[in-house]
Amino acid sequence: MTSAAGVEAYLGVVAAGLPGPRRARDDILAELRSGLLDAIEARRCAGLPARSATEAAISEFGDPRQVARSLRPHLAMTEARRTALTLAATGPVVGLLWTLAALASHVAIRHAPPWHWAGAPPLSPAAFPAAGTAILIVVIATLATIAVTGPLTRWLPASPRTAATAGIGAAVADLAILALLASQLASAPATLAPFPVAAAAAASVTRLTLARRAAGRCLAIRSTLT
Amino acid sequence: MRAETLKGHLDGLLLASLEAGPRHGYAIMEALRAGSDGQFDLPTGTVYPALRRLERAGLIQGTWSEGGGRQRRVYELTTAGRRALADERGTWREFSAAVTALLAPVPRPVTP
Repeated sequence: MTSAAGVEAYLGVVAAGLPGPRRARDDILAELRSGLLDAIEARRCAGLPARSATEAAISEFGDPRQVARSLRPHLAMTEARRTALTLAATGPVVGLLWTLAALASHVAIRHAPPWHWAGAPPLSPAAFPAAGTAILIVVIATLATIAVTGPLTRWLPASPRTAATAGIGAAVADLAILALLASQLASAPATLAPFPVAAAAAASVTRLTLARRAAGRCLAIRSTLT
Repeated sequence: MRAETLKGHLDGLLLASLEAGPRHGYAIMEALRAGSDGQFDLPTGTVYPALRRLERAGLIQGTWSEGGGRQRRVYELTTAGRRALADERGTWREFSAAVTALLAPVPRPVTP
């Protein structure tokens, strides 16, 4: 067994127990690799032959499955944080696109609940409160995730489930708005400004897909935490 | 010394090992071993998750840097980390003084 082969075999076992974002995993594995090489080097300097030095270094590092287990919370928080930051960055863009689409269309926006607007889509009384509630949940869950996966992590427990909630909320909000659009398309398509509406719909469909997938990843990584 | 005994103090010890200057993971482990006369012999693999946890909390900052022909992730204390270390020290002093006082053998009363 060469030193490199021994190190890579050890890292292979660690890697097999690490779910989560690729870049974060690779970064951790690279750090473990450099640590193992340091440990081997220290023993070689003390006069051990390559083989024994490698074996001693690997046994010093401990059970690779245990190392993977204690790294999983870090990867779960990285995944949750990434989901939350993406939602925080894309949410306002999607919102802005829909606002522009509504302003460009022939829907009279007044100082009244959306379902009282002249020419508002027939589904408004149901879809607006649904989207509003979902957006509120997204904002709270997103901010909570950003807070607890950052410096507040010492005092507050973090769960990737909060980030998953944010992702699902965003998907629900998108669905509600798209349903609203579908109802308007079915009842009064002529009132809609085609390009702004198409842009907003495309943004929502994209975000819906990505948010749903991110929520799935957060729930998957949560299931690996013990 | 068993890993369990050490667990609650690992964060403080890691911070303390960085007080003198930046170090990479393996050097931190060696410092703990040497500084404790070999008493703290944790599996080296456990130090890396702990370092990532401290980094997320903003107490230390890790950066990859080239040294000795190889890339190593080097950690240094942040301002918040120095503060946390000072807090940790204060808490430990009070705690250890109280435990020492309580565990000290009581001199037997001299029976007349």
